[in-house]
Amino acid sequence: MSEADKFLYRDSGKVANPLDQADWATKKLVWIPSETLGFVAGSVKEEKGEECLVELADTGKKVTVNKDDIQKMNPPKFSKVEDMAELTCLNEASVLHNLKDRYYSGLIYTYSGLFCVVINPYKYLPIYSENIIEMYKGKKRHEMPPHIYAITDNAYRSMMQDREDQSILCTGESGAGKTENTKKVIQYLAHVASSFKSKKDQGELEKQLLQANPILEAFGNGKTVKNDNSSRFGKFIRINFDVNGYIVGANIETYLLEKSRAIRQAKDERAFHIFYYMLTGAGDKMRSELCLEDYKNYRFLTHGNVTIPGQQDRDLFVETMDAFNIMSIPEEERIGLLKTVSAVLQLGNMSFKKERNSDQASMPDDTAAQKVCHLLGMNVTDFTRAILSPRIKVGRDYVQKAQTQEQAEFAVEALAKASYERMFRWLVMRINKALDKTKRQGASFIGILDIAGFEIFELNSFEQLCINYTNEKLQQLFNHTMFVLEQEEYQREGIEWSFIDFGLDLQPCIDLIEKHASPPGVLALLDEECWFPKATDKSFVEKVVQEQGNNPKFQKPKKLKDSADFCIIHYAGKVDYKADEWLMKNMDPLNDNVATLLNQSTDKFVSELWRDVDRIVGLDKVAGMSDGGMHGATKIRKGMFRTVGQLYKEQLSNLMTTLRNTNPNFVRCIIPNHEKKAGKLEPHLVLEQLRCNGVLEGIRICRQGFPNRIVFQEFRQRYEILTPNAIPKGFMDGKQACVLMIKALELDSNLFRIGQSKVFFRAGVLAHLEEERDIKITDIIISFQSWCRGYVARKAFTKRQQQLTAMKVIQRNCAAYLKLRNWQWWRLFTKVKPLLQVTRQEEEMQAREDELEKTKERQQQAEEQLQEFEAKQQQLNAEKLALQEQLQAETELCAEAEEMRSKLATRKQELEEILHDLESRVEEEEERVTHLQKLKNKHEAMITDLEGRWTVDIQ
Amino acid sequence: MAPKKDAKAAPARKPSLQSAAPAPAPEPDVVAAPPALDLSKVKVEFTPDQHEDYKEAFGLFDRVGDSKVAYNQVADIMRALGQNPTNKEVRKVLGNPSDEDMAAKRLEFEAFLPMLQHIVNDPNKGTFDDYVEGLRVFDKEGNGTVMGAELRIVLGTLGEKMSEAEIDGLMQGQEDENGSINFEAFVKHIMSI
Repeated sequence: MSEADKFLYRDSGKVANPLDQADWATKKLVWIPSETLGFVAGSVKEEKGEECLVELADTGKKVTVNKDDIQKMNPPKFSKVEDMAELTCLNEASVLHNLKDRYYSGLIYTYSGLFCVVINPYKYLPIYSENIIEMYKGKKRHEMPPHIYAITDNAYRSMMQDREDQSILCTGESGAGKTENTKKVIQYLAHVASSFKSKKDQGELEKQLLQANPILEAFGNGKTVKNDNSSRFGKFIRINFDVNGYIVGANIETYLLEKSRAIRQAKDERAFHIFYYMLTGAGDKMRSELCLEDYKNYRFLTHGNVTIPGQQDRDLFVETMDAFNIMSIPEEERIGLLKTVSAVLQLGNMSFKKERNSDQASMPDDTAAQKVCHLLGMNVTDFTRAILSPRIKVGRDYVQKAQTQEQAEFAVEALAKASYERMFRWLVMRINKALDKTKRQGASFIGILDIAGFEIFELNSFEQLCINYTNEKLQQLFNHTMFVLEQEEYQREGIEWSFIDFGLDLQPCIDLIEKHASPPGVLALLDEECWFPKATDKSFVEKVVQEQGNNPKFQKPKKLKDSADFCIIHYAGKVDYKADEWLMKNMDPLNDNVATLLNQSTDKFVSELWRDVDRIVGLDKVAGMSDGGMHGATKIRKGMFRTVGQLYKEQLSNLMTTLRNTNPNFVRCIIPNHEKKAGKLEPHLVLEQLRCNGVLEGIRICRQGFPNRIVFQEFRQRYEILTPNAIPKGFMDGKQACVLMIKALELDSNLFRIGQSKVFFRAGVLAHLEEERDIKITDIIISFQSWCRGYVARKAFTKRQQQLTAMKVIQRNCAAYLKLRNWQWWRLFTKVKPLLQVTRQEEEMQAREDELEKTKERQQQAEEQLQEFEAKQQQLNAEKLALQEQLQAETELCAEAEEMRSKLATRKQELEEILHDLESRVEEEEERVTHLQKLKNKHEAMITDLEGRWTVDIQ
Repeated sequence: MAPKKDAKAAPARKPSLQSAAPAPAPEPDVVAAPPALDLSKVKVEFTPDQHEDYKEAFGLFDRVGDSKVAYNQVADIMRALGQNPTNKEVRKVLGNPSDEDMAAKRLEFEAFLPMLQHIVNDPNKGTFDDYVEGLRVFDKEGNGTVMGAELRIVLGTLGEKMSEAEIDGLMQGQEDENGSINFEAFVKHIMSI
């Protein structure tokens, strides 16, 4: 983890380094432009009117610079800031410096307001592991260091919370890392939004989503001078989520495939990877099936087998085939794709010759044509005829028209390009089908746009116009988003400030390109020109100049010898366009005879590729132009066919509609150098890109408002020192305190606004406050240091004084002794002293007497005590006697009582005996009574008996 | 003997001081030096007792025995006598000498007195509150303490940088067991001596 932290967090220890802070404040550091380094630091020594004398920080050289060229340096507090919108001095130099500082410390991601700027590190960084993903999961943007994951997570959470579709727009030059970052976005989403919770068992869909990339890269990427794996197309990947936030499907749309790469490559560049994968990786069986040959036999591979260091085409072929497997694209489709790729190569090997006595082309050797036909399922004879003498509609009739060598060659090349493009489009469609098979309903989506950034070459062609037009639109989207968000923030904070919609800034340029009519834009004029039989690239330019000559965003080349045909002032700068071949490029004509043949191919795959052939601009239409209008009837009706410009405009407009309905997130990729070197940053190259990708434009917009915002509490904490006594002691509401502080600071009312929770400042105001704060702190510190020094000095002084006093005591005694030592009597005394016991008798006597006295006293005391005690004893004895007498009397009384008691006891005895006698007599009497009773009863019974007998007798 | 704090008691005569006219710099080789001070205009107003005490203190710093002290000791004497001048002020009253002169040149008591008087007349005006607020800037936790290590760096790298030895003498026994310092108490302590 700590390893990764190095590449995420800025070194916090350095940020608050007071030394730097002091340096900045005292030296008045600024940035001045430099030819080689972009900008260099210097300190202002002197100001004279419009000019300044500046001493360069590293060399110490003194130079005079115009004041306007000087850019202020930010206080060290802002060193390596994560969000450059926080910089108080917002200027090119500071932005560049911050990015450079961070890049050199391994921090490749930096925010700039809404943007996330990323500079290609050209090396592996340990910041894309699953641990890191977990770290970023569910965190707010400001809680974590800048990262593409933070942007992605933010988009994902907003989608879940607000139920709003999201988009992540990655743009940048080739080699800046757009595609890599896009992959990281997908990786992140596949990880956090997978419905399969255990990490090992990633869902099939997520796997396929990740595998779509290798396939697209194999077919759509190639090696360029700048980039070994350069995407030669733009893409918009739409990942759909259900209400629970799980991925339910995805869809890929591609833009502007550079199909000419299939037939021609610049020095040190390669065609699309798949050519090399296939030629190196295919087994023997496949080689014969696909009619593959050796690299050097193919004319379309201009430079033969160009290899990429560290990349094994053979392995990548296997990998690509595996990816097809995971995508569940079956074998026969795969072969179909590869056959088309092989056929494209074979088309390049068809060679034509001019016939001896006419202009007609002939094909002396048809081996290549046979192979093409074998691969694409066509009849060779039909194919050859379609190429050499196609049927062309003239008026109402079809005639066979022989082609010249150039025409035939052009037709074959066009065919090769078209085949490759159609194959690529089919592939994308097929991938989409694979990614969209779940039945679950998508509730919202995150779209990821990976498209080339602004291109400014010396001379620019139709392709550049398309890409620059795209970027102009994307920048407009950004400006508008920023405008809306700023507006919201200002409203939320209750600040009165009317912003201009910066999106409108770009409208004139966009109109210049895309407007339909009154006046028609460049694309419309180009289309229109395509329908004129006699039109040429030149006549097109004339028309543009005529219609748009007054547009402020349009410029005619100043000098006649200038090779450019016209210039367009894009937001990123002036771009020179050369209109050569634009009509052709726009129409993209194709031999419709061959197209029809392909449409009817016996190979199912091929015929599907060429399913729609009705809207192709046929060769004959173009022929009209080059022949100088020989066939008057070839004027094409508008709208029948679709030009490249039209198609692209439509595609772009769809994309923009989609994007406008999403909440956009902007990622800007930057290439640091053209040598693919790690740790090297070419300042001018980066500056150029910052200009092109809108970062500087964003900053320009920022500066118009109040870019620096500080919450009340922080403002108070940091700057209260500048306004002593402004805030009364005790509690005070944050806003009220800030109001008081600002009042005490006496700031111009246009420099700040006070919102509900923050103070807003114009650019640069904070730098000023920071400077004052530094000066103030330094003053206080110096004053305090003086007190401290005083404290230390006084402590030391006290100690020294005490030492001095002690010293003096010792000194005095020593001196006394020294004097005494030599006094004769003293010496005598010291000698005699041990012998002189007598001398002490008196003392002893005295002591004895004292002792005696004391003893006497003690005795006296003892006697007194004795008397006292004796008296006490007598008293006690008397008491004792009295008590004894009393006791005697009591005892006598007791004896008397005892006697009485014994008398009474004898009496009691006597009486008890009498009682006894009487009791026995009672018993006797009672016995007699019972006896008599019994007798009586007996007699009574007898009586009753007798009476009964008697009555009976009577009766 | 207690350190002399009573020097402040000497009647201050600021107005006369501030009007001290800038005299031509005695050492023209010193570049961009602030205008030198004309000490002859400073009226020395110490009492005889103070005079006595100061002389005694002054003598304590004489390590050679010529009844003079080195330039670089002057600041310490003034501090010992209860003043808290900045190094810059001391240099100013000394006529902005070079570093070599600070070590090599010596000053006698009679020349020292007006310098002391000048410092006494314009004392360090920093207050307890100023310092507490100043140190609060380095209070990362917002709990009224700063780390001793941090304070050492601040005092050793900012302003008139203090030496290791000075800082050691200052911080002795001030840090608690966690190495932090309650800066209000610290400032109070520093200002009490």
